[in-house]
Amino acid sequence: MSTAQLDRPGPAVAKPSGGVLHHVARLRRTSPGRLQLILAGLVALALLTGLVAGLTTASAAAGTADLGNRAQPLLVEAETIYSALADADTTAAQAFLAGGLEPTALTRRYEDDLDRATTALTSAARRTPETGRSADAIRQLSADVSRYAALVASARANNRQGLPVGAAYLSSASTLSRESLQPQAQVLFKAAQSEVGDGYRAARSSWWTALLVLLLLALLTALVLTQRHLSRTTRRTFNVPLVVATAVTLVLALGAGGVLISQRAHLSEADTEGSWPVALLAESRIAALRERGDEALTLAARSGEGALETDFDQTTGQLDELLADAAEVMPDGTAGSSVRSATQGHQNYVRAHDQVRKLDNSGDYDGAVALAIGSRTSQTFTGVTDDIGRALQDRKDVFSDEIGSAGRGLGPLTVLGPLLALLVCGLAFAGIRARLEEYR
Amino acid sequence: MRARVTLAAVAALAVLAASGCAGDSSPLPGRPSESAAPAPTNPATAVDTSCNPRASLRPAGALPAPGRMPAGSYMAAIQKRGRLVLGTSQDTLLFSSRNPFSGKVEGFDVDMARQIAAAIFGDPNKIQIKVIAYDKRVSSAVDGSVDLVADTMTANCARWKDVNFSSIYYEAGQKVLVSSASAARSIEDLGGKKVCAAKGSTSFDNIAKVAAKPIPVARPGFGDCLVAFQQNEVDAISTDDTILIGLAAQDPYAKVVGPRYTEEPYGMAMSNAHPEFTRFVNAVLAKNRANGTWKSTYERWLGDFGAAPQPPVAQYRD
Repeated sequence: MSTAQLDRPGPAVAKPSGGVLHHVARLRRTSPGRLQLILAGLVALALLTGLVAGLTTASAAAGTADLGNRAQPLLVEAETIYSALADADTTAAQAFLAGGLEPTALTRRYEDDLDRATTALTSAARRTPETGRSADAIRQLSADVSRYAALVASARANNRQGLPVGAAYLSSASTLSRESLQPQAQVLFKAAQSEVGDGYRAARSSWWTALLVLLLLALLTALVLTQRHLSRTTRRTFNVPLVVATAVTLVLALGAGGVLISQRAHLSEADTEGSWPVALLAESRIAALRERGDEALTLAARSGEGALETDFDQTTGQLDELLADAAEVMPDGTAGSSVRSATQGHQNYVRAHDQVRKLDNSGDYDGAVALAIGSRTSQTFTGVTDDIGRALQDRKDVFSDEIGSAGRGLGPLTVLGPLLALLVCGLAFAGIRARLEEYR
Repeated sequence: MRARVTLAAVAALAVLAASGCAGDSSPLPGRPSESAAPAPTNPATAVDTSCNPRASLRPAGALPAPGRMPAGSYMAAIQKRGRLVLGTSQDTLLFSSRNPFSGKVEGFDVDMARQIAAAIFGDPNKIQIKVIAYDKRVSSAVDGSVDLVADTMTANCARWKDVNFSSIYYEAGQKVLVSSASAARSIEDLGGKKVCAAKGSTSFDNIAKVAAKPIPVARPGFGDCLVAFQQNEVDAISTDDTILIGLAAQDPYAKVVGPRYTEEPYGMAMSNAHPEFTRFVNAVLAKNRANGTWKSTYERWLGDFGAAPQPPVAQYRD
């Protein structure tokens, strides 16, 4: 663009932009002009750094809070919904196997299961946005849980009157549970798992952090270069306000770096010591309950070994792997001993199950039922799920601690970051204005 | 995972609700048969009349004493095993259903089989009950996973090709169950209404053949049909009168109406690899018809619905 063009009426935008460029070019030719440019650059860089520092910490804080208060609890609730529903189904089948009036303990257990499932469902609904896969699953689950409860209630009323149609109601309920409720709970569980993954990504805010690091480096470099320039062009070695500005920037860099590094370290702990073991244990409990359900339904079917027994064997293989992984992840502490105890208990339970199958296959159906729902086998099995539950609670606590620590310092930094950056602006202005005034 | 859940669900479905299902098609897997065709759309499903399904194998001489089965016979093999394996259902009230109080499977069909066990062992309790899905009744007898099927099972010529039936021990026929408030007097009055039957049963196929055109609705078993009826999902249930009686007995707001519009002679099915066992079963049935056991069994289970008729007369093909 030539100067001649500037005098002509041109497009409205071309004139100011051309004017600024021209102005900048002219400023570069004089010493005060250069100082003015440097000042503008420093102020802009400091303001931008302050803004990004605020945004980075705000994003990391929001991500960490969302992970701790929403995504991870949602995962735990999804597991609760799944295992409560699976346990309710198994319990109903066992009560059926017991014959006669359902044993009080089993009725109570069934009702507890249903309570747990509905409570978890309510709070999961609060943690889920209104649209999407999880929301659909929650809506379907809410509708089906009440249908399920109604079918089981009819089954019990009929059973109480000695009518075999009670078994058909129970079978409809079981079908609903295995075809709709449990798969929907599974969808919710998977969705929650991927939300936890997203939650970690959001909490780490890696792009913002990288940008902040670059800006802080740029600001520091700019401050140092400015001071070198000033000490060369003037006779003063130090420009006090700029030295202070550099120090403040360093404090900001160290503070932000410290908080963000600590946040990442705690997040990584929360993931490896919390979320990952929680996911392993949750899947283990689901698998254990699945085995018990397969066993009860195989006996209730009274048709010998079928697809459900095959499923039992597959699930046993999966559970062994899950528990082995869990033992590797949690070698010691409360969780470690609980996992070891669960592994031992599971072996005992599988031995009892093999005995149940042997009895049933050799024609002793009543003996098989008595062994399967008898107190020893029940205790062995409950021991396994209780052990897993203990380890799960331990890991949930670790997760909460780590997430609490990860969030520490992010709040103050969100306010302090921009304030320190403003201070740097002010100091840079003060430091350079003093030099500018010497040219007047 | 999802597929496994579905698989488990399908199995669970067969579970508590393995259907009673008389008069249903239970072809051998992999073998084409008329009844395996989508019958409701094909009202002209041919009835196989190539044989007299009521005629079985004639008993050979006197019954051996209990516990002394002839060496080499299939009965000796059962005796050696120590129990007779019976394939049946657990939700056909009065014929073979699970007693909710005791958890035992009992009924007219079960007693028929217990009488066979008594003839082999001298003890009617030496019996193992295996619940089989209605479409597994023929294949279970063929592959030897059960010794005997007594499960409101209609003897027909299509099934005679794969299994042996005993002589007929009960004559049933298809009727319809409606609400006690219904004005319907037979299946012909249910045009456009939803009528339930077990999936894949010939009862189900028969509904579509009715001139008044009721709408057939399939459920896994007849217990499930009663659930659907009680939840107002269907207007009626149609299958063998024996099963309907059992269903009506569980619901004071239901009644069985109309004439029998099909004939369903019940026989016990067993493998045709050892005809001596069929002859043995027929000898036990003949003895029990003569000595009043059949009559007392009928009265025990079905006495509430009228006096015992004459037992079906045994017919033999040789």
